[in-house]
This record gives sequence, structure tokens and C-alpha cells, in this order.
Amino acid sequence: MLQHITIAEILKEEWFKKGYKPPVFEEKDDTNLDDVEAIFKDYEEHHVTEQREEQPTAMNAFELISMSKGLNLGNLFDAEEVCMDLREKQGLHLNVTANEIIHKIKEAAKPLEFDVHNKNYKMRLYNLKAERKGNLNVATEIFQVAPSLHMVEIRKAKGDTLEFNTVPHDSLITISLHFLNVSYC
Amino acid sequence: MGCFHSKVTRQHPGYEDPVTLASQTAFSVSEVEALFELFKSISSSVVDDGLISKEEFQLALFKNRKKENIFANRIFDLFDAKKKGIIDFGDFVRALNVFHPNASQEDKIDFTFKLYDMDGTGFIERHEVKQMLIALLCESEMKLADETIEAILDKTFLEADINQDGKIDISEWQNFVSRNPSLLKIMTLPYLRDITTTFPSFVFNSEVDEVAT
Repeated sequence: MLQHITIAEILKEEWFKKGYKPPVFEEKDDTNLDDVEAIFKDYEEHHVTEQREEQPTAMNAFELISMSKGLNLGNLFDAEEVCMDLREKQGLHLNVTANEIIHKIKEAAKPLEFDVHNKNYKMRLYNLKAERKGNLNVATEIFQVAPSLHMVEIRKAKGDTLEFNTVPHDSLITISLHFLNVSYC
Repeated sequence: MGCFHSKVTRQHPGYEDPVTLASQTAFSVSEVEALFELFKSISSSVVDDGLISKEEFQLALFKNRKKENIFANRIFDLFDAKKKGIIDFGDFVRALNVFHPNASQEDKIDFTFKLYDMDGTGFIERHEVKQMLIALLCESEMKLADETIEAILDKTFLEADINQDGKIDISEWQNFVSRNPSLLKIMTLPYLRDITTTFPSFVFNSEVDEVAT
């Protein structure tokens, strides 16, 4: 019976190996996950369950302004930016708490087989089933823009851009951001 | 000055010698040559005149030449050092120099100050920040009540405007940025480190040899 060759089998084939250099995934310099790492290191060591009554980090006006596409000169280089338009045109829904957002992200992550770890308002999503080398990891952090308006910052960590782009839009990211008008670029 | 050099000057009015530019900036000669490849593609995208117009800049940044954006305008104005309404190659390299990972923090902080001081008064005034904030919200299609915007501004100025005079001067800005280093994130382009691989330039190697002799 004829079967499609699997990727694993292709990688073993002689003709494929000729001149093949396995891709090396480097973290882009601007993806700095030190703060997320620090949080999770702490968590594992101390296992402190902090009350989520403290507010998420508040953003100041200039942090918001820095998010403009017009200030991202990386686009001049035609770099492969993970540019997802996350705008929900349903308007603002108020009275959504950061905890509800975290809950939504977790819910959305489940069917996609992402492993979710969170500590306060920082979360890490691991794709356990990543086919290509380098787990697709996504780090998110929730900031407070106004008492009832939150911004979710999403940073792609190590991983394959292609895989990230094929995460269906109506899953992980947009469902979890249903209540937000956020643009990430 | 070989005939190769003058041929290039004829085609590109804004062209400057890569060796000179390299000596004035953090870029090596081959990096300047690679930047020239990038410059050529941007500056020829609407009108092939060797200069970057506002439209070509918008096209490169947004993939849409008609897209107006106050922040892109500010960046364009700062790149256009001679205030001619266009960016030539020298302007391009000297401006991008500030975005190099090795450029000084001081230069980056200065650039952002000028960026946000929209009317060039030497102060970042509250009404300017409000205007920029509204523009950002508009860009992201977010609507916030005026009171909420005012609250964000209040909080920002409380932190940044140390002498509480309603505006941020350069030393208050330096102080504010040192407490909020993420504000300089936009000022570093890691792509500039790999520029020679992203834009390999084969044509001008001979130029370097000519100048060396």
C-alpha cells in the first residue's frame, strides 16, 4: 500500500541529506524573555501562590505610543515579522478583568495542545507537538491600559515562524482576545 | 576617483562615498555598501531618482505609499537632516547609525526626545503626548474616553515631569528613560548587525579597491 513519506523519513534519506544544513533557530535579539524567565524560575523554586489582587503592570503613554507601526523601522528590512492583526471589530467590552483574559487564553490553548504556565500576568505557552525543531513558544504578558482595558503583549520565542502563522486565527489568539482591540505588529 | 565612482554619482545624486560614511558611523564599509542596496530598492520604488521621498518611505514601512502616519512623518523629518523633503543616502546611513545596536544610549535617547518633541520647542509638552496617544489609539482602532486618556497622561507626567511644569525637558526625559528602558526598544534594529548577509552587495567591492589605491 502506498503511503506518504513522513518528515522523519525524509530527514533520513541520502538525497535529502546532500548539502542539507539543519536550520538553526536563533532568538531574535528583540525578543527578550529575561523577565518571563525570572518569574518562572522563582515560581519553580518557591512555589508561592500570589494573590492576583495586585494589578497588572500599568503602561505609560510612551509605551503605548512605541507600539505604532510607524515607529517599527524593522519593516524597512522586510524582515519576517510575525504580524498578526488582532483587532476585533466588536468594540470595547468593559468590565473584563485580567483574570478573565488569562482564563480565556488557557481555554483557547487547550485544543491546540499548548501547555500553559502562568504566574500573575505573565504566561508562557509551549507547543508540545511542534513538528519542526525548536518548540514554538509564545510568551504573553497582560498590561493594564486603563482600569478596564487591558493590552496583551505577545512575543514569539524560539520557534518556527511558519508554524506560528498557521495557528488558526480563530483559536488561541483571537478567542482569547475577544474582548480586546489590540494590534500587534 | 575612478570612472566607476563618477558613474555611480551620475545615477544617484544623493550618493556618498562608503569609506567616508563608514568613518563617520558604526558601520563598516561593506555594511554601508549593503545599506546602499537597501537604499536603492526603497528610493527607486516610486520614482527612480536615487532619493527617498515621503511616499517611498511610507511604501517601505507600511507597504502602502498613501498611508499617512504622524510617527512615520516624525521619523522621516528626522532622517531628512537637511530639511529638503527627501532622504539621500548620506542622511539614510547617518540616521540608521543611531539604530545600530552599538550606537550610544545617549544618541538613542536624544533621537527619541526629538521624535516626541513634535513642534521642536525643546520640550515634550502634554498636548503633544496627547496628540500622539490619540493617534496610536486611532491606529489600533481603540477608543478610550477622554477621561481615561487624561488619566494615562496624568500618570505619565506624574512620573516623567519631575518639576511639574507640564512639560518634559531633556534631562527629565533622560531620567524617565533610564527608569523605563523599554522605551528605547524602538531605537535598536538588530537587523543592522546582519545587514551584509541580508543585502549582499557584489558591485561595489571594486569601488573599495579603487579608493584604496
